[in-house]
Amino acid sequence: MSLTASLSASTSARRTPRASLLSKRRRRVGVMLILPALALVGLLIAYPIGQAVYYSFTNWDGLTTQWVGPSAWVQAFHNPTMWTALKNNGELLLSVPFALGIPLLVAVMLHQRVAGWKIFRSIYFLPTAISWVVIGLVAEHFFAYSGTMNSLLSDIGFSGIHTNMLGQENQALIALGVTFVFSMIGTNTMLFLTGLATLDPSLEEAARIDGAGAWRIFRHITLPHLSRFIQLAFVMTVISAFSALFSLIFVMTGGGPGYSTTTMEFLVYQTGFNQSMFGTAALYGIILFVITALVGIIQLRLIGAKDS
Amino acid sequence: MTVLASPPDALTVNAPKPTRSLARRRLGRTLIFVAMAIMAVIMLYPFAVMILISFKTNAQYLIGSSGTSTQTWQQINATLPIWQELWNSTVVCSLSILLILVIGVMAGFSFAKLQFRGGNVVFLAIVSAMMVPLQAILIPEFVNIAKTGLTNNYLGAVVVYAALGTPFSIFLFTTYFRRIPDELIEAGIVDGLGYWGVLWRLAMPMALPAIATVTVLQFIQIWDDLLVGLLFLQNPGERTITVGLAALAAGHTTSIPLLMAGSLVSAAPAMIVYLVFQRFLVRGLTMGIDR
Repeated sequence: MSLTASLSASTSARRTPRASLLSKRRRRVGVMLILPALALVGLLIAYPIGQAVYYSFTNWDGLTTQWVGPSAWVQAFHNPTMWTALKNNGELLLSVPFALGIPLLVAVMLHQRVAGWKIFRSIYFLPTAISWVVIGLVAEHFFAYSGTMNSLLSDIGFSGIHTNMLGQENQALIALGVTFVFSMIGTNTMLFLTGLATLDPSLEEAARIDGAGAWRIFRHITLPHLSRFIQLAFVMTVISAFSALFSLIFVMTGGGPGYSTTTMEFLVYQTGFNQSMFGTAALYGIILFVITALVGIIQLRLIGAKDS
Repeated sequence: MTVLASPPDALTVNAPKPTRSLARRRLGRTLIFVAMAIMAVIMLYPFAVMILISFKTNAQYLIGSSGTSTQTWQQINATLPIWQELWNSTVVCSLSILLILVIGVMAGFSFAKLQFRGGNVVFLAIVSAMMVPLQAILIPEFVNIAKTGLTNNYLGAVVVYAALGTPFSIFLFTTYFRRIPDELIEAGIVDGLGYWGVLWRLAMPMALPAIATVTVLQFIQIWDDLLVGLLFLQNPGERTITVGLAALAAGHTTSIPLLMAGSLVSAAPAMIVYLVFQRFLVRGLTMGIDR
């Protein structure tokens, strides 16, 4: 892969005389070509952000708007449901180390290229293609009272802990977290494997000849090499934990029992479309946006600090 | 091989040492193979569940019978109109991807090759839209689009998918077009192609791998999406297969074998695209860190 990507648009300094003669027309064409993109992103992404901020200060049911002002925000922060949702989001973050660690282990194993590794690679990536709606439905069967997990448990002699995880307030979120980890394995393994492919094999070989064990090679050569990939996977996984679980929650628990699996993103949906409180829902959306933006900015800072 | 680790051994006995480490190595690789096979079973679990359960009747499933039946498959269309919904998914995916590609190619070419004042700022603004989670704008977006009436046909979802997919496609095409030498563009202009001709006849053919990457990534994303389809396709006859499946599941009265059969139907197209175009997907995913 030789694609180079950097966020800053590089301006080419060299201009031939002919190009500058044409430059007026070139600028006009340049502006015309971005107009559709500008219209689409402006109208459907930028403008609604402004609207969301405005409506977060109102009582809004989609038709009539009533200005409330800053007290709308004060009220929201006194709403225990929002804190429950934030707490659920926080607890879901505990699954992130697993969503990174398991793929890291899998990628390192694949990288050893033992017999059949290409087939294994395809199998591991396959769930990446299917909808989280489908994964959620299968997970529902896995965690159900008469499902796979309980029959496995009783097979190995733990029939005492027969449980319906998705129906228990203190267990449903764990089941959701496990499903989330499963859903992230393919993507993160793919990322790490790409990172490993760019690692110079002679480095590992040299270390091995020098008598370094597998762990030391991993710790001092592989892991530092992968740091940028791990950072990217970390940010993508955290942002997914905040904004990509809708499908899983929708089919597995519907946010329940109670509010035990309602995360901020699901709260936006519930508040807006089940309770028709569009103003409050917009407010929750803003909070979610701020959280994910912070994660992104911290990441950019980390990369920037490393590059300079 | 292990001279440094154990110098005395190396001096006295040379032969047994490599054999031992070879045996250890072989054991290690066997263990890795076993671990990978276990992992494969875990990752294939969803597919096994879908296939096995879909070939049972609801009664067989509920009593845990080991019998099989094709009854669920024969009756699936009565509860889940799979052909209609597969068609809906195809239409929504195709229209969205077409918009994402055309708008992305044009803007990417402009940002990369037709520098104009303020271009960099606009580029950064559009690319940073990638960071906006849909839920942050969901409510006003829904009200806006519903007011235009587009939620009553395919276009409501199509424009939302297009808006969400365009920033990434512009990012990808811009980085791709930057690699085309300016001289080539200028030669095309001198030959009378015009900017429009240069874009479609010179630049676009060179961007085919990027087009493939965007297409595959967006296909899987849009095909698998629930939230946009659920809200922006208000007409049940226009639901995509993923939305239809989730709506059916939310009813909680539907038979599990039926849901599994529906899951398999909805998953199959994305899986095929995925297996055929795997390398484009990997490329898209790792864009931006391959510096």
